[in-house]
Amino acid sequence: MAKPLRRLQSNGIQGGQLQSLCRALVCTRPSSTAAAPPPQTKTSFGNMKDEDRIFTNLYGRHDWKLAGALQRGDWYKTKEIILKGQDWIVKETTKSGLRGRGGAGFPTGMKWGFMNKPGDGRPKYLVVNADEGEPGTCKDREIMRHDPHKLIEGCLVAGAGMGARAAYIYIRGEFYNEASNMQLAINEAYREGLIGRNACGSGYDFDVYMHRGAGAYICGEETALIESLEGKQGKPRLKPPFPADVGVFGCPTTVANVETVAVAPTICRRGADWFASFGRPRNTGTKLFNISGHVNHPCTVEEEMSVPLKLLIEKHAGGVIGGWDNLLAVIPGGSSTPLIPKSVCEDVLMDFDALVEAQTGLGTAAVIVMNKQCDIILAIARLIEFYKHESCGQCTPCREGCSWMNTIMYRFVEGKATPDEIDMLWELSKQIEGHTICALGDGAAWPVQGLIRHFRPLLEGRMADFAAKTAGEKLHGSLELQTRVQLVQITK
Amino acid sequence: MFCQTQHYATAPAPERIEVFVNDKSLLVDPGITVLQACAMAGVEIPRFCYHDRLSVAGNCRMCLVEVERSIKPVASCAMPVMKGMKIKTDSPMTRKAREGVMEFLLVNHPLDCPICDQGGECDLQDQSMAFGSDRSRFVDNRFSGKRAVEDKNVGPLVKTIMTRCIHCTRCIRFASEVAGVDDLGTTGRGSDMQVGTYVEKMFKSELSGNVVDLCPVGALTSKPYAFTARPWELRKTDSVDVMDAVGSNIVVNTRSGEVMRILPRMNEDINEEWISDKTRYSYDGLKRQRLTKPMVKDDKGNLTPCTWEEALVEVAQKLTQANGNEVAAVAGGFADAESLVAMKDLLNKFDSEGLYTEEGFPSDGSGTDFRSSYIMNSTIAGIEDADVLLIVGANPRYEAPLVNARIRKGWMHNDLQVGLVGTEVDLSYNYEHLGDTAATLKEIASGKHAFSKVLANAERPMILVGNTILQGHEGAAVHEVVADMSHKLKSSKKVEKDWKVLNVLHRVASQVAALDIGYKPGVNKMTEKPKLLFLLGADAGLVKREDLPKDCFVVYQGHHGDQGAHMADVILPGAAYTEKTATYVNTEGRAQQTRRAVTPPVYARDDWKIIRALSEGSKAQSLKQPLQPSILELKDFYMTDSISRASQTMAKCVNAVQTMK
Amino acid sequence: MSYFLNAIRTELNAIKLAGGWKASFYRILRETNLRTGSLVGTDKYGNKYFENNAYFMSRNRFVVYPYVDRFDFDASQVPAEWHRWLHYVTDHPPTIVPPEERKFLQPHETNKTGTKLEYVPYSTTRPKIEEWQPPRTIDEPNTWIYPASCQLCTDLL
Repeated sequence: MAKPLRRLQSNGIQGGQLQSLCRALVCTRPSSTAAAPPPQTKTSFGNMKDEDRIFTNLYGRHDWKLAGALQRGDWYKTKEIILKGQDWIVKETTKSGLRGRGGAGFPTGMKWGFMNKPGDGRPKYLVVNADEGEPGTCKDREIMRHDPHKLIEGCLVAGAGMGARAAYIYIRGEFYNEASNMQLAINEAYREGLIGRNACGSGYDFDVYMHRGAGAYICGEETALIESLEGKQGKPRLKPPFPADVGVFGCPTTVANVETVAVAPTICRRGADWFASFGRPRNTGTKLFNISGHVNHPCTVEEEMSVPLKLLIEKHAGGVIGGWDNLLAVIPGGSSTPLIPKSVCEDVLMDFDALVEAQTGLGTAAVIVMNKQCDIILAIARLIEFYKHESCGQCTPCREGCSWMNTIMYRFVEGKATPDEIDMLWELSKQIEGHTICALGDGAAWPVQGLIRHFRPLLEGRMADFAAKTAGEKLHGSLELQTRVQLVQITK
Repeated sequence: MFCQTQHYATAPAPERIEVFVNDKSLLVDPGITVLQACAMAGVEIPRFCYHDRLSVAGNCRMCLVEVERSIKPVASCAMPVMKGMKIKTDSPMTRKAREGVMEFLLVNHPLDCPICDQGGECDLQDQSMAFGSDRSRFVDNRFSGKRAVEDKNVGPLVKTIMTRCIHCTRCIRFASEVAGVDDLGTTGRGSDMQVGTYVEKMFKSELSGNVVDLCPVGALTSKPYAFTARPWELRKTDSVDVMDAVGSNIVVNTRSGEVMRILPRMNEDINEEWISDKTRYSYDGLKRQRLTKPMVKDDKGNLTPCTWEEALVEVAQKLTQANGNEVAAVAGGFADAESLVAMKDLLNKFDSEGLYTEEGFPSDGSGTDFRSSYIMNSTIAGIEDADVLLIVGANPRYEAPLVNARIRKGWMHNDLQVGLVGTEVDLSYNYEHLGDTAATLKEIASGKHAFSKVLANAERPMILVGNTILQGHEGAAVHEVVADMSHKLKSSKKVEKDWKVLNVLHRVASQVAALDIGYKPGVNKMTEKPKLLFLLGADAGLVKREDLPKDCFVVYQGHHGDQGAHMADVILPGAAYTEKTATYVNTEGRAQQTRRAVTPPVYARDDWKIIRALSEGSKAQSLKQPLQPSILELKDFYMTDSISRASQTMAKCVNAVQTMK
Repeated sequence: MSYFLNAIRTELNAIKLAGGWKASFYRILRETNLRTGSLVGTDKYGNKYFENNAYFMSRNRFVVYPYVDRFDFDASQVPAEWHRWLHYVTDHPPTIVPPEERKFLQPHETNKTGTKLEYVPYSTTRPKIEEWQPPRTIDEPNTWIYPASCQLCTDLL
């Protein structure tokens, strides 16, 4: 197997179609700017009605098995959706404005459309990324343990949309119960003829396999996931060639997030316009938000896109511990997005564009709330430690940079540093960001950048405290640092 | 790189596209990378992980360049060029990226250049001077220190200092792609990532020494060479290797008249830029067991040093007294073409035709009359063009490691289909084992075997037959079958006219030249009852004292005190391949010259000069056995001739193979 | 006039002391001069030591080596106890003040340079090559000295 694979890869680089792909994905920013967005008419967001919810068993109050799923409307007219054809499914997805829910927010319709190029005889695959490892994020596991049939149906619909032969669900190793539920659900679906040969009686053959990972965060990156699925070390591949050209086992592959796939059948059933009616243009739909940290009721909730952050926290999470005024900062999209301070949190909307404007990102919409009793420097240092631990070690900037940033951050926690090192840390994070194969380097750099951007006085204050505390004492082996600390005191 | 493959390329060349390197317009072939395009424009991009002959890893990030309309700098080693691409290799963004990557590389690099063997030829040193920052910001040295990694023991040839590793994975890719052993790999991740052999074992490859050249830092260095010389002290002499019949191009590095190390020299047609471990590491054998002084046997029967005059007069007298049919010469594996010719002239002068090579070859039928029947006709580089290869009774992996590397290259990139008749051996690639005996070969030739169809359908078939088999007593039969088969295949319509099918893989460096000159192959064919026998470096032990007439006077001329010297009556010390300018013809029939890198030791002299001086002083008055290749296992690969038998490094290798499983 | 007569007399006396005209001739050939003086002493090696204060300082004490061969004599034949007198370290020859007996005093040796017993420093460099030693059929020491004649014919070929 390995031999033809290598050949495909080397040829793949020279493929003509690929170059247009490269242009589309690298040279221009991934956004849906191609079509002019419809003018914004809606002005208030949030307070979504219960009948609009897609994930109706998010909290596991009902039966998660097939019987319960059928009751909730899953597998309803799936055959008809498939029979409408590939183009219709992709068009409908494009029209709904669905953007990838895994963090990057790439327009799903466009991504699936890449798969519909004239084939060369190789089978195509859908790979579902269920390796949800981002700290703070817990949306996919809720889907998989309480609504697994939504995902399986999604695999079938999405797979039909891109003409895939099979779907691989790559599930995180730690999700044991979720994997058990998924496997049971897959078995049920096979038994009922919903997937497998002649899926749902549509004449379409489609298999769903589940693969359990071994618990590496990096395997959530699409190319690393593909490598891991192929049985190699989970280390990101170079792009190009993109997975749409050479993916898993050397075949065209689309890697999609669980949530993205799971909402596809509902979009097709209820119509793209219904889905597009939520949220601001280009940021449409509903979204699972995970609220954790210093809130009264941490929860996962489905809400409309563009819901104001304040409304999300106050209404669904029971507010910040100690009241809204006790809020210090929020990490709005999982650990790898930069934090935003309270001033920004007041009126920011939770969607892709609004958060980019606020110099952060929606990511996986995992809201981590920190109140004023929290040591935010330590919190960020702990995040960097996570990235240091999870860096795959391939690219120099990420491998060396993350461990360096980690040591610096832990010194900052104590204050054992000088203010000019804050600028150095900023530069280091800029040296990592955008210089690596995958986005893990970016994800490690952004929290640090957010901290420095918004909490520089706090950092400097802690350094001054430490300098005052240790004034006259011999510092840890460093004469240079001592003089620098003294200089700081003089300038104060 | 492309010249060989394009010869048989059928697809028309694709349209060239225009790219701009630093605003300089350039027309390039589509499909090449940005790095290659920059190289064409004369701009060298710094790199660590990228290597021409290995797959692209793209993980060192040193080759980042700015491309207009891209928000991030792109890794030029992996990015294909696109139409109208504007590449900026000296923009602030590019320079910043390089500086950043270099800073990160140096954060955990020990900076022990003064005690590092790579110092002076280290990519990291050079590139940090050219592209790095002018000062360090790494103050965490005082708080947390640098990473330290345990050294691995991977055998007696490659020394590892893993703390210096920058994780470019060149060695890993070389091992799995070129050498075909997946011995090396990474364990751990992030800053705990380590390159190693997973468990402590030997890096078991006949090409292992090449990772020393590949390593851009001093993580992998040569164990025998460790701490002996600095690259700037060495005098480099381009030469040719004689340890096998491939004739790899080498550079002999010497310091004050001593060979310090041997490095490969690029030759796309022969060895690309690799050499085998025996070529690289057996040089210490050149310093041991040497014949340095002429010797004659005294009245007690002991070899005693004497003057050149005494020794030459002694031999000349015997030569003058002997009849033509009582004189014979046997040429060993290291004999150069010049001395072979001189020896032939000398013996012919005395009416003798008793010229033999130690290595055999069937002389039935046309024998060695046609050059094409005993050389590798389709050349080593031609293996890359072949589509089906039938190996007959050879183990190219150990008999000619670089031919094997070529076969593996063809197998990887060109879908070369390989079949083997002979003992089943590990060749580092998959092949179809067709049978053990010549009977299978007959079957294939007659079209009864399944593989005959594969051969018949091939457009560029190759048959590679090992000389070990040909010199056996079934050799003539095997050669006949193979020659017939080749002839049939060649006359098939599918095969192009100038494509050659029959290839003979020789084992020793002198053989093709000797056959070209007119030596008869094989000592078993000797018809003379020699009274005077010249051994021209014949050390394989095929000529035995018992087989010779009692009063036979044996003259050994060579550079090592091995099997030949032990039975000699007179020893004439000659020069080894690093000590003479001499011609060797490799198995393809390619004549190449070694160059004198050091002088022959003490009283040893160039071989052809010795024979010429001798002529001055003497005046004329007037198919059921298994087709087993010679080397089956790695432990037998290291010591095959008088130089490598004298090498301590090679002895260590044999020991390591046996003990470090 | 008397100065010249005096000089001639001295020289004739020197010739007489040397043992006649022939002996004087050989003495001059050997030592390029002919001096007379009073015998101060003779050491056990046969060197004779003379003093003649008519010569000026540094020529007034001299040694006459025993005759072995025409050129076979050497300054290092003078033992230490006579050396100090001969070189004006002291005015007392060992005949008057014999040297103190010490147990560490070595017997006197002449300079060995130019003889077979001369000291040759061994090489401290590592040999670049190791030679093959031919096997011996008869047991005898496996070392030999290279024939001297061969050292000259290094460039025979």
